[in-house]
Amino acid sequence: MSKITKSSTAEYFAKNLQQVGFSSPLKAVLTTLKEAVDNSLDACEGADILPEIEVVIKKVGSGSTKNTDLIKISVEDNGPGIDPDDLAKVFGEYLASSKFGKGQCSRGQQGIGISAATTWAQLTNAKGAFVMTKTKAMRKAVKGQVDVDIKSNTGILKNKETVDWPKKDHGVKVEFTIDGRIQLNGDGGLITYLDGTVLVNPHLTLKYKLLDNEPIKIERVSTTVPVVPESTLPHPHTFKLGEFITHATLFGKINLAKFLKTGFSRISDQSIKDFVAKGLPKALLSKSITALSQEEFKKIFQAIQNTDLMAPSTKSVLTVGEEAISKSIQRLGEVDFFSVVTRKPAICDFKPVVVEVALARFKTSQLDADDPVQLLRFANRVPLQFDKSGCAITWAIESVNWKTYGLAQPKNSLPLGPYVFAVSLVSPFIKFKNASKETIDASEELVEEIRRALMQAGQKLSRHIKKEFKEADLERKLAHIEQFGPILVEALVRITKSPATRRKKAEEGLKKLLGRDSKDAIADLEEAQSRLDMLKSKDAKKLGIDEPPQEGGSSTLEAASDNETKIEEPSETKADKKAKKKSKK
Amino acid sequence: MAEKLISIRKLKISIPKEAQIICEKMLSDLEKSKRPILEAVKASLDNSFYNAKVGYLTPGNKKIRTELNVSSVQKLARTVFMLEILLRNLDIGSVNTKRELYYICKGLIKGDGKLKPLDFEDQAESDAIIDFIGDMLEVYREELNCFANDRGGQTYSQQLVVTETLSDGAKATIDLSTLGTAPYQPKNKPQALKLKAKKKIDFCLIVESEGTANTLQAMGFTKRNKCILMGAQGVPSNAVRGWSKLIQEELNVPLYFFGDLDAYTLQNIFRTLKAGSAASLIRNADFSAPEVRFLGVLPEDVKKYDLPHYKVKESDPSEARALKKAKDALENDPFFLDRKNKGLSDILKWLLKEKIRCEQQSFFSVDPKDPIKTEKLILEKIKHKSFV
Repeated sequence: MSKITKSSTAEYFAKNLQQVGFSSPLKAVLTTLKEAVDNSLDACEGADILPEIEVVIKKVGSGSTKNTDLIKISVEDNGPGIDPDDLAKVFGEYLASSKFGKGQCSRGQQGIGISAATTWAQLTNAKGAFVMTKTKAMRKAVKGQVDVDIKSNTGILKNKETVDWPKKDHGVKVEFTIDGRIQLNGDGGLITYLDGTVLVNPHLTLKYKLLDNEPIKIERVSTTVPVVPESTLPHPHTFKLGEFITHATLFGKINLAKFLKTGFSRISDQSIKDFVAKGLPKALLSKSITALSQEEFKKIFQAIQNTDLMAPSTKSVLTVGEEAISKSIQRLGEVDFFSVVTRKPAICDFKPVVVEVALARFKTSQLDADDPVQLLRFANRVPLQFDKSGCAITWAIESVNWKTYGLAQPKNSLPLGPYVFAVSLVSPFIKFKNASKETIDASEELVEEIRRALMQAGQKLSRHIKKEFKEADLERKLAHIEQFGPILVEALVRITKSPATRRKKAEEGLKKLLGRDSKDAIADLEEAQSRLDMLKSKDAKKLGIDEPPQEGGSSTLEAASDNETKIEEPSETKADKKAKKKSKK
Repeated sequence: MAEKLISIRKLKISIPKEAQIICEKMLSDLEKSKRPILEAVKASLDNSFYNAKVGYLTPGNKKIRTELNVSSVQKLARTVFMLEILLRNLDIGSVNTKRELYYICKGLIKGDGKLKPLDFEDQAESDAIIDFIGDMLEVYREELNCFANDRGGQTYSQQLVVTETLSDGAKATIDLSTLGTAPYQPKNKPQALKLKAKKKIDFCLIVESEGTANTLQAMGFTKRNKCILMGAQGVPSNAVRGWSKLIQEELNVPLYFFGDLDAYTLQNIFRTLKAGSAASLIRNADFSAPEVRFLGVLPEDVKKYDLPHYKVKESDPSEARALKKAKDALENDPFFLDRKNKGLSDILKWLLKEKIRCEQQSFFSVDPKDPIKTEKLILEKIKHKSFV
């Protein structure tokens, strides 16, 4: 019989880095950046600091592995800083996290990502992470190199030094030098990641310099640090029997009734009566939970599962908000128009979840009208960039009939057009398909909830698309009058061999006739324009922007703020009026 | 040169004069700030009438009215622009195909910046304008000196002699018996042809498949029979229809059509040959041969000769469409609703009920060892009046 050995968590991950986002040189760079930025944002939020993050990525040589470059990724934040004693743990030890199992909507959850990045750096470049930290209490910063001791899953801080960090009260700077390859745009691109992060973090000021490109600075558009709500007590319907028993061991010697009421959410005295009605032996209620047998636990658990309970609270989720997304979206480029929907928190599979959707078209867009829309997926405000085909968000988009909203869509596919579809899902319990958090598992309830948000946004978008179409149509007709009128009269005069006097008279007649049509059209156009301007300035005021933003986007800010499909009153366009008039005739 | 072109029919109107009247009316309406209106015959089934005595589909009173407004001004300007070109062609005796007219327009537009908005994106757009002018004036496209590049079906005969009047008035005489294995294929100007039979002609056989017509010819069909043998090339073009009409009018011989037994052949091919189509209402008088009979394949032939046939695949979109169209035809097509054509509508009903189809080539399966078996069967059917 072969010898059974036990390996450390670090050993496991060092051998299976592909499971946590390091499956290719391309993904390695993106994942490293992502883990560092996520940590910075979470830290700032935890300390109520408005984040200011600076990212620098450059090629510093060729990589040790085939077909790779040596890439230096540096992320600096203004967060609270890390106590120097914790540096080794944070960057060099797996599952060392301040967030593990907390049930909060933080970006990071388990404490795997950044240690994996350190491991990747160590494996490909023989050096771990270079870190510099300064907390408010420190006069000088501490810097050093953190390596992972893979055998024991512990972090080791090497070359520790105390240095000055001028103009910095607190913050962390981390540098990884790794084998990788760089892709800037497209689904797995670094810019796509940074743009996505900017979109769902309106309170973030981001500076970045990628390779030899010009440095970019994107200012924050919100000065409110999002408060990540405290987690709520677990809902008994989300538990399995084993978890239920383990959960009970945390409560010591209390009786069952008390355990149920204090250990879970949504269990009241009435619920306990209901459990009894469903087969929970009444005598057990006063028994200490430490004295309960496994059989008894099973009975209790089954009774609870068979009883209808109030859905869990949705207080533990947070939203970015329509207003903030509306402002944030304009940081990504000049928006042609957009529509934003934030759904009310809902319960899917007994877990609170909130879906937000932004659909936008950019004036400077490089996207092709015949290509599928660009999809930005977010889970707990972290962009998901790989394996979109299996994701609940993609499924939901494909299940919507976008043709009704004016977009072309091949069967069972993403719609086509130069649009950006951003869909964000926030929940303390997002079920990912893999440890690298790239794909959200698609349950029927979740897909339906996302689908509803998309349809609401689609309805708003369709107003713009239809209005644009009608506007173009009207313009074309107006141009017709000017272009074809004279040609018609001239040809008639030639065929009938009429004198110039008749030509003049006919031209005047034609002008009168078509003038009636065009006059109406122009009046309608002016009215529609003034209505649009009014709406724009109203929205601009609402958003606190001096100048109205851009054509189109503003009117969608009237948000559907509840779960019912609620659509803003559309501004009546001249084309709409025209159509009305026609139907009256 | 213009007067040397032989006219298709005796027109009651003079096209230039009629055009002048329409344009004059439009101009004076405009002078009065009144919206001019153009009217054209509505060429559709709901405006089609069938009179058994006449034998072809004729137009009813429904008109398509185009009133000047922001939406229609483009169509009106294009119509008058094209009309001017056609009138000039009539004046100088020039003839063109639709495609040539398309390029003539393109050229004029290219040479004059002001005309640019009129530009046609493709030929379909200019074709539609030409058709509209024909329907508006109620004249044939050929009467506007616009000829399609289609040809009458390939024709063989040992008795037929054709005298063609050329555009310069010269005459050409074609004795079909001297053409060897080459077929005679008249251009779409049947009006310029005079037909004569050297010897009595017993019948004219129009075969749906040109390939089958050629096979019959190769096996000596016209040598053994005093007849005219023609291939129809599927749905008969104007040229095939006009050519068949001319044979009917000038030679007074019985005409038989031999094609597939299916809904498509009956309503699209045979009906068009016999009575014209709803799309060409104003021209059916000269472009249909009402005397032509349906020789087969008849439902009874399938049984009698034990012909191979197969089920219509309703999963096939084109066959399902043909069946649906057949159902519609039985309910709405005045041709099939008329009592005179009951025999034909009965076949349609039979096809709808049995959902089978049998192709003309199945006759070749009856006795493959006999190279002229199909000819024999056809002659037998004619002899026994086995046709509808």
